[in-house]
Amino acid sequence: MGLEAEASDADVVRAVLAGDVERYAVLVRRYRDRYARYAARMLGSRDIAEDAVQDALVRAFDRLADCRDPTKFAGWLFLILRNRCYAERRRRQRERPLEPMDDGLAGTDRPDGAYDQLERQRALERSLQRLTAEQREVFVLKHVEGMAYEEIAQVTGATVASLKMRMHRAYDRLRELMKGHL
Amino acid sequence: MMAGYHALVKQVLDGERSLADLPLDLRAEAEEAVRLVHAVDRAPVTLPAAVEERVMAAVREHAASPARRAWRWLHAPRDVELRLRIRPWMVWGGALTAAASLAILLTRPTISSSPPETRVASRDTVLVRFVLYAPGARRVAVAGTFNQWDRSAAPLVPAGTSGVWTTTLALRVGQHQYAFVVDGERWVADPGAPAVDDGFGRRNSLMAVTAHGGRVL
Repeated sequence: MGLEAEASDADVVRAVLAGDVERYAVLVRRYRDRYARYAARMLGSRDIAEDAVQDALVRAFDRLADCRDPTKFAGWLFLILRNRCYAERRRRQRERPLEPMDDGLAGTDRPDGAYDQLERQRALERSLQRLTAEQREVFVLKHVEGMAYEEIAQVTGATVASLKMRMHRAYDRLRELMKGHL
Repeated sequence: MMAGYHALVKQVLDGERSLADLPLDLRAEAEEAVRLVHAVDRAPVTLPAAVEERVMAAVREHAASPARRAWRWLHAPRDVELRLRIRPWMVWGGALTAAASLAILLTRPTISSSPPETRVASRDTVLVRFVLYAPGARRVAVAGTFNQWDRSAAPLVPAGTSGVWTTTLALRVGQHQYAFVVDGERWVADPGAPAVDDGFGRRNSLMAVTAHGGRVL
């Protein structure tokens, strides 16, 4: 376990590429939950997020030889997951346009007295699904994952100015959608 | 339709301004906006351990698939017996072709290259020459599957002040993907070779190195 924790992403990637397929489990354990919250908030469903993370991890293995910089495996995997989330969003829009989803993502084990907050949380989850994928992503990365605009720009490739513009439009849209819950 | 938040209120949400800095007439609007952001659920999401089992099952299956084995076969080094018979006209023909390619390259205004030139170096490696026309570049390197995409492992050297950068690498027989790295950060696909989408908006150039030399795919 100690060795597993010490092994860098790059070491594990190189070992897998050299034929030690079982070492890939180290990366699966390392990133399975780390990216689950992003996927869940992007897709509005824990179950769909689980599928997305699973698919992204398998796809990353299939394309591991294309990982240009094994020390940046985390960011590379994030991009695969991000593409997967966008694709899932497009697929759902074709099949069930703007259908609100609520499978308990906002949590149910909350103490009594937190009802208003819980209701607001659920309303926000539903509202996030009605933003554009780009608006939702910047909102999730900033307010759920706690990233600065500069960090978001680094992982998404967008400029800080365009990210701010998306975010500010998201704030306005959310205000409209959350009317009555604030 | 409801009006959007005031620009100053958005700055509060972005963490660039505090509530106390706002004019009094914007306080109520800002408090509403803050309630919105506070409704965000930041609880961690934990996936079941079965995810790992399913991923690893798929990984083992894919690793054993014929396509994957074929890919590994292409990458794996092996001994190859070579019998080369070169005629003088081949040498002259090759030199003339290379000269013509270079002349065309030098007339192009933007980044360009010719398909990598190759010659056999040993029984399982082939010398491949990479050429990129990148006037104005401060440094150029080539990175690919053959050097784990290390952007500093294979620098190209400038040919005088012509803007042409070159290097020669000994590559193993097999299929390789690669791209040039200009000034340490800009990835440029080889304009002289076919490219494939790497799935993330970038293009990787493709090249097959055989025991008889290299060729772009």
